[in-house]
Amino acid sequence: MSTLLKFERVNAFYGAAHILHDMSLEIAAGERVALIGRNGVGKTTCVNTLLGVASLRGGSIAIGGSGLKKPRPYVAAGLGVAVVPQGRGIVANLSVEENLILGTAAGRKGHWTVPRIYELFPILRERAHTPGTALSGGQQQMLAIGRALMSNPALVILDEPTEGLAPVIVDQLATIFNQVADLGTALLLIEQNLSLVERVAHRYYAMAKGAVIGQGPVNAAVMHELKEHVVA
Amino acid sequence: MLSINIFNGLVYGALLVVMSSGLALIYGLRRVVNFAHGSLYMLGAYLGYTVASHTNFWVAQVAVPLLMGLLGLALDRFAFRPLQDRDPLTVILVTFGLLLVLEDLVQTVWGKSNLSVPAPDLLSASVDLFGMSVPAYRIAVIFFGLVVAGALTLWLRYSKMGLFVRAASTEPTITSMQGVNVDRLSGLVVAVGTALAGLAGIIAAPFLSLSPSMSSDVIIDSFVVVVTGGLGSLSGAFAAALLLGQVQAVGAVYLPEFATVLPYVLMMAVLLWRPAGFAGNRV
Ligand SMILES: Nc1ncnc2c1ncn2[C@@H]1O[C@H](COP(=O)(O)OP(=O)(O)OP(=O)(O)O)[C@@H](O)[C@H]1O
Ligand SMILES: [Mg+2]
Repeated sequence: MSTLLKFERVNAFYGAAHILHDMSLEIAAGERVALIGRNGVGKTTCVNTLLGVASLRGGSIAIGGSGLKKPRPYVAAGLGVAVVPQGRGIVANLSVEENLILGTAAGRKGHWTVPRIYELFPILRERAHTPGTALSGGQQQMLAIGRALMSNPALVILDEPTEGLAPVIVDQLATIFNQVADLGTALLLIEQNLSLVERVAHRYYAMAKGAVIGQGPVNAAVMHELKEHVVA
Repeated sequence: MLSINIFNGLVYGALLVVMSSGLALIYGLRRVVNFAHGSLYMLGAYLGYTVASHTNFWVAQVAVPLLMGLLGLALDRFAFRPLQDRDPLTVILVTFGLLLVLEDLVQTVWGKSNLSVPAPDLLSASVDLFGMSVPAYRIAVIFFGLVVAGALTLWLRYSKMGLFVRAASTEPTITSMQGVNVDRLSGLVVAVGTALAGLAGIIAAPFLSLSPSMSSDVIIDSFVVVVTGGLGSLSGAFAAALLLGQVQAVGAVYLPEFATVLPYVLMMAVLLWRPAGFAGNRV
């Protein structure tokens, strides 16, 4: 299996604040990986470093085997790594459908088109012409996922996609994540909801203080252990 | 009497549409309050004078926006882009400096005396409009304003690039995460905005005379339009431009002693009613 995304001893900063300390992780094509950890350990900072929003000063990040010299926000999508940002990032002055079309900016052709996203999330078709931010939280999350898929990515990074959502919506999203992964798309699921991790991911990294403190396969026993020590 | 003033208000409003849409676009993507926009307009008029005197008006109307667009690309690349993370006052001072440089350049190259550009032959006659005799060129100015407003609206509403521009105007980081090189897109938008300033200059040249002080009236009115319309909003700016054109023209007849303050009264009235302007701050 080829490596899609690789962090090697990444050190990242916001200004002078040193957030990631020798952070390493690796995701291969088609894998379902979870990144877990408490609030403020640096999970989002991993995404921000990939996008060049936090500054990379030590270590390396590679997509599909080639290193990013200077990460820029618009680079990852073109190389097949789509991000569903924490907080969803729906553009308020675009309609639902226009938010989906924004996802085609990377110019990657493939399985996902607007009609296919509407098959996956029929509610989005009904609301196609309303402003994106007029949707409920769960629907906005679906829109953010749909927008990421529109770039036909090899890997989707989901940053706490179920934060603040009702359990029924979380169940619905878990099914969607598995459906997307079954099509061969790799997932990096950033989560604190370990029951969701257990239903979706096959492998995990656990983070504390900007570094990996544990990793391995996902199973009920391990998740129980992590619940006690890493997340709670 | 009133109808000729309404007509002239429409002509001036159309010119403001072209001016202020450039200003609104640049603000929308770069968040730059471009004090040099009026000087770019003046430079466009003077360049138009030179190009038109060697060729003709129509060539100038195409060539000037193209030249000004190139200048806009350079302006973004060497000023707005490097300064985008600085505090807004720095950027305002830089555009103010550019204003001084451009004013000086125009006086050095073209002198201080008034110049004029004749209307193109096709439009040099007067025509009868609802019983008024009006210069055909002024009707053409209204038409140019409509074309600019229509073309920009179509571009922003119905093209993919227009969609990216609208997205980047409110969510630059989210937009670039989708794969849009927002810096390059902003450069292009600054080029379009600068080209529009130049276009406004060449449009104004045959009916307002060219002088080194020609920018001051128009730039103040353009700022009033952009603020009244909602910073960065194009449709808001279009509406505000037409309204200000009427206020100026009709006010000059009925309230001549207040003519200079009317734009500000309009702006204050609208902002008291809607603090974010007609449309709020989005393209
Ligand atoms: N823009 C920023 N500037 C400075 N410090 C920041 C910035 N964003 C986050 N931080 C700090 O960096 C650390 C890591 O934050 P990060 O957002 O990566 O955490 P997280 O693991 O994603 O947490 P959460 O689960 O709450 O989303 C925190 O201490 C946070 O306060
Ligand atoms: Mg986070």
